[in-house]
Amino acid sequence: MDKLLQALLNGLLLGGFYGVMVLGFSIIWGVMGVINLAHGEFLMMGAYMAWALFRAFGLDPFASLVIVMPVMFIVGYLLQRLILNRVIERPHLMALLVTFGISISIANIYKVVYTASPRNVPVSYNGSVELFGLTFPIVKTLVFFVALSMMFILHLFLQRTRLGKSIRAAAQNKNAARIVGIEIDRVYAITAGICIALTGAAGAMLSPTQAIFPFMGAPFTLKAFTITALGGLGRIPGALLGGIILGMTEVLVATFVPGIGTNLGVAVSFVLLVVMLIVRPQGLLSGLRPMEEVE
Amino acid sequence: MNHSVELLRGEHVTKYFGGLAAVDGVDIVVRSGEIVGLIGPNGSGKTTLFNCLSRLLPIDNGRIVFKGHDITNARPYQVARMGLSRTFQVIRVYRKMTVLENMLISRQWRGETLWGMLKPSHPATERRARELLDFLKLSHLIDEYAGNLSGGQRRLLEIGMALMPDPDLVLLDEATSGVNPTLIEEIKDHIRELNREQGKAFLLIEHNINFIADLCERVYVLNYGKLLAHGTPQEIMENEAVIEAYFGA
Amino acid sequence: MNIWQRMASWRGLIGWLILVTLLALYPYTGLSGSQLFTLSQVFVLVTLASNWNLIGGMTGYVDFGHAVFFGIGAYTMGILVTPVEMAFSPHLTFWQALPFAGITAALFALVIGLPTLRLKGPYFSIAMLGTFVAMREIIRIAAPITGGGKGLDLPPVLDRISDYYFTLALMGFVVAFIWWIRRSEFGATLIAIREDEVGAEMRGINTTQHKIIAFVTAAFFTGLVGGFWAWQNTYIDPDVVFIESRTVEMVMMSMLGGLGTVWGPPLGAVVLYFMRDILWANLLDYHLISLGVLLIVLVLFMPEGILGTLGDRSSTSLLHLWRRERHPSPSNQDSGGNT
Repeated sequence: MDKLLQALLNGLLLGGFYGVMVLGFSIIWGVMGVINLAHGEFLMMGAYMAWALFRAFGLDPFASLVIVMPVMFIVGYLLQRLILNRVIERPHLMALLVTFGISISIANIYKVVYTASPRNVPVSYNGSVELFGLTFPIVKTLVFFVALSMMFILHLFLQRTRLGKSIRAAAQNKNAARIVGIEIDRVYAITAGICIALTGAAGAMLSPTQAIFPFMGAPFTLKAFTITALGGLGRIPGALLGGIILGMTEVLVATFVPGIGTNLGVAVSFVLLVVMLIVRPQGLLSGLRPMEEVE
Repeated sequence: MNHSVELLRGEHVTKYFGGLAAVDGVDIVVRSGEIVGLIGPNGSGKTTLFNCLSRLLPIDNGRIVFKGHDITNARPYQVARMGLSRTFQVIRVYRKMTVLENMLISRQWRGETLWGMLKPSHPATERRARELLDFLKLSHLIDEYAGNLSGGQRRLLEIGMALMPDPDLVLLDEATSGVNPTLIEEIKDHIRELNREQGKAFLLIEHNINFIADLCERVYVLNYGKLLAHGTPQEIMENEAVIEAYFGA
Repeated sequence: MNIWQRMASWRGLIGWLILVTLLALYPYTGLSGSQLFTLSQVFVLVTLASNWNLIGGMTGYVDFGHAVFFGIGAYTMGILVTPVEMAFSPHLTFWQALPFAGITAALFALVIGLPTLRLKGPYFSIAMLGTFVAMREIIRIAAPITGGGKGLDLPPVLDRISDYYFTLALMGFVVAFIWWIRRSEFGATLIAIREDEVGAEMRGINTTQHKIIAFVTAAFFTGLVGGFWAWQNTYIDPDVVFIESRTVEMVMMSMLGGLGTVWGPPLGAVVLYFMRDILWANLLDYHLISLGVLLIVLVLFMPEGILGTLGDRSSTSLLHLWRRERHPSPSNQDSGGNT
């Protein structure tokens, strides 16, 4: 029983991280209709940036968010202006191939620059606390709460601010948004900036708990896809829900499948993905935007 | 022609789109050798009914029988092989293939072994395609890409493709829309000739009332997914409810 | 049809067989081992590209994980022939093991294709990418049989001239086979599925069956290539076998030459190989960076490939592949959604 509770807790914590990790992917898809296969690589960039800042200045990964996020915002902004702009409103496959190309290029540029050897960010507080008979890993718990606050802030931003409303309008109806005077290209570029910044932040927060290497991204792209399939497109609650389901499934499999369970994460994610795509392409919750709808 | 043999029967066909019944308990029968019309205002569910009958869409309620076989759960290709062909409101020809290739791909696929399919098209298939193209007066376009044809020519080509497998029943979805008046007359003659000479049955969705009146023996009228009226063209045109549905009160 | 016209319809195949014959005689001019190796590498790439083209170019299912079949073939070979004593090591010879490399890949394609080939457009691509990534992890986990991350050693055999003839024969057969399919009715149905799957189904073509056959066939030959590659390489581990660039290369060679054409993918393979050889002299990392950049450039500026640009009408662009998704199909009309 304790084992199960502990597994559920770990799954929940992981799920919170997944929730914020997937947002950049699912919002870009929902707003621009671009499936970003380089998602994991932007996460990897964030992780490397946190590592570099930690090594050079001893900067804490959570503190480094104030640097990582603006830098990644600019990366995203430029990405949209230079490349994604050309594939929006074009075939899905074009976007898929182009972002696939971006993904390979980034991963291998990082390999040339940083070599393939794994890097670590050994923070001093990488222990755990016992509470109510459960073990709370400090870093992961922190990540969970930071992730929740980020989602909350993003939610407020999208609901309350003028810019946020423009983004939602653009997601729903490009042409109508254009007619009411929203500069679509600018909105897209800012959206991409925010999304990549979030993705980079997720990478930075991941850095204390996982080895950082140039090819760490691909599994995250796949997981992002699974979570989006579970939770629907571009919705924050959906992202959180999908993230928690994936996180819990992964941890449960790791806990209760003896021996090999720990490494099954990607396979689990894949099975969930294909099952979802075939059985319920509109996502788990009714009322969420089905993936098919966005062309 | 013996009109008593039932070809296609839809019983209480119902299809929902997100809670709304696009087709609502429609009963429809087409007998062999008949030309039947299906009319109704825009959005009345005609094409959806077609899609249900040809098994493109799964139905939520009801039953579809073709030549005595229950095809409610058959796959579309199986229905096609049984002898039910159709055309589409939004023309579906293969734009990157030539007219002849379009015809060849639409041949009768019934009982083909895979090994047999590893050969190029059989000369007999090609002969049939050429004959049909002659019949439809498309022979001069035989090597043209379907994408380069005019809208009317594409309609004709699609009809030709539907005829390739020598079907018993052809569902024509707005065969005259976007077609110039001369061609409409031609299509009308083709349908009449195919019906008289070869006994092919037709179910037509049409907006062109004259076309229906000239060709059809019976007409079904749909409105809001429900069957509004059924009878000879003459009866339909005098039916109060139909006039109201079309022109409003 | 007179004899000359009949000859003309065969000229593609005749030309190809002449080329293969010439290549078969080529080693007698005294090629060095490394030249033979280079050429057999090119033959492998041509074979892979042609296979990918069968499902990706002709049938229009853009497979982002096709290298998974290469990997399965490689590991089947590795497991069956390795001299190391693992949990399951039958110590077969190369020729005994080779058919299994193809068959295992084909069986896997059958199992994975039944669900994934029901998915449309990008969803199929992603599902296959997922299959690829997942398979790499599974191979890593199944260490008792596969050697896991440490990899597997195969018998060290160096026989460049046999490699040359094996790859030449396989390439010769596969390309001729694709040529044959392209002019057959079966090939025509594949193109029809690519252009308008719903239309093909409505005209009596069992689309599911045809897609599966194309997919399984492509997987079979890709598995054979993988099996051979493992043998030639004498060592396999998850990272060298399941390397993303292999799928990317298959996609790109086909795109570069012209999707859906018979001669485009082989042409694309040759161009890509020499480009990488000349540009980067096998500096793998730089090669991959340039590959990524090239992919972006290709998609944005030359979506119909070399042959498409030259006017081969069976070539298709990505723009075109996507168009069929916009036709009304059961899945997007039916809000209940059972794709």
